[in-house]
Amino acid sequence: MSNISRRTFNGLLGAAGALTLAGGLSACSSGARVVVVGGGFGGATAAKYLKRYDPSLDVTLIDAQPTHFTCPFSNTVLVGMNDMAYIERKFDKLTSMHGVKVFTDMVTAIDPATKVVKTAGGKTFEYDRLIVSPGIDFKWNAIEGYDAAAAEIMPHAWKAGPQTVLLKKQLEAMPNGGLVVIAPPGNPFRCPPGPYERASLIAGYLKKHKPKSKLLILDAKDAFAKDKLFKEGWEKMYDDIIEWVPAAKNGKVTKVNAKDGTVETDFEKYKPAVANIIPPQTAGQIAITAGLTDKSGFCPVDPNTFESTLAKNVYVIGDAAIAGDMPKSGYSASSQAKVCAAAIVATLKGEKPVPLSAINTCYSLVAADYGISVAAVFAVKDGKISAIPGSGGVSPMGANYQFRKKEADFATGWYQSICQDSWA
Amino acid sequence: MRGFLTTPVLCLAIGLAMAPVAAGAADAVTVMADACAGCHGTDGHSVGGMPAFSGKKADELKKVLHDYKSGSREATVMDRIAKAYSVEQLDAIADYYASRKK
Repeated sequence: MSNISRRTFNGLLGAAGALTLAGGLSACSSGARVVVVGGGFGGATAAKYLKRYDPSLDVTLIDAQPTHFTCPFSNTVLVGMNDMAYIERKFDKLTSMHGVKVFTDMVTAIDPATKVVKTAGGKTFEYDRLIVSPGIDFKWNAIEGYDAAAAEIMPHAWKAGPQTVLLKKQLEAMPNGGLVVIAPPGNPFRCPPGPYERASLIAGYLKKHKPKSKLLILDAKDAFAKDKLFKEGWEKMYDDIIEWVPAAKNGKVTKVNAKDGTVETDFEKYKPAVANIIPPQTAGQIAITAGLTDKSGFCPVDPNTFESTLAKNVYVIGDAAIAGDMPKSGYSASSQAKVCAAAIVATLKGEKPVPLSAINTCYSLVAADYGISVAAVFAVKDGKISAIPGSGGVSPMGANYQFRKKEADFATGWYQSICQDSWA
Repeated sequence: MRGFLTTPVLCLAIGLAMAPVAAGAADAVTVMADACAGCHGTDGHSVGGMPAFSGKKADELKKVLHDYKSGSREATVMDRIAKAYSVEQLDAIADYYASRKK
């Protein structure tokens, strides 16, 4: 055999070997149908990464809305730093770049026994694996008088979209010298530092446009995410505007009256110009309807795969899931989505899923040029998703202007990157 | 005899042929490394103000990550994150991003 022919022979063998291997891989999962419910950070990332990890999968994403408005950066919209288009995410690149089928429809029923999803539009989707990423819904009337109708007068703005626009309009319409109340819920809830970033940015808006106004945070808690850092920033910039009232000092809102515009704690009654009530939360309604929640209102899952412990072949990610130490954040949801996608690809091939490795990184703006962050890396320990000791944590106290400015710039960079990684 | 000699070449050929497909292989390193993409972009192609990994050599990335872990490189958040990983894990992450499509 000459040198040339031997090389050719090897090349052919190599190609054949590769083909056999690739063919073998795809044969195991070829055409397996994965349906994803919800097109937020969790659902969009899951759909994209499922196709990345196994292009042969048949992936369908269903969201009730034609586009998704992100909660991250919605606080910047409230105060006019960005417009609604800035936080609007389209699904078209999931289709054009990754081959995900996208449907605008509301999922109304899931039957794990027959592996079928049904929609309000009368469609039926069969699946081999289902990912449920529905975000949150609200416990109406947990605060007396605060129901869906009251939220049209006292917006929560805790799902971005029309509620964001409503709260923004109210802030613009309020008089100089008016009172803004923000009422954050107890734990657990979506985006733990979010209410305090919101308070910061609204205080900045008031300071500039309506300097006689006050902002009262009536809190159901005595501590909150990044609280020392927020308070450090507030003292510097908003000392005469923001007042935080913890639960221990009678901060917890127990009752509202949307008609007369009053907000009550056990001993006090306020009549704010703008009331932003953020009520206690549960997993998104479809997770409750499908029987995926426990008595906490959220969904218990396997910590390495996010498969529901209550329904086989159904996976729950994002804010709806009980994910140990991971906070309910967009970054957590997106990171969980990749772990879940990898686990589904592995199990469809009959392989053992790899252990969870996930990150949360979350920035908050105390002002446009003043950012703070929290970060953690997670692994499973003793059956629970746990932050890895000796790492993670929040930005340092007492940092200089340059440091805070850099983190504010990174906040924007973070947002652009995670939106790209999730939807494009 | 020749059959034995071809074996390493054959493996190499398969490895090369599989390289584009490996972008999809969801092994432990992939899952660990893809968690970074939320800030640094899919395959390290950052579109915003976060540093991109694309086009960086593995050794460059390893040095930066080791220095974040040891604290010898100034950081806002990466020092907090790098400490969670072993040197071997950081190296695997660096190799992963250095091998991504440009």
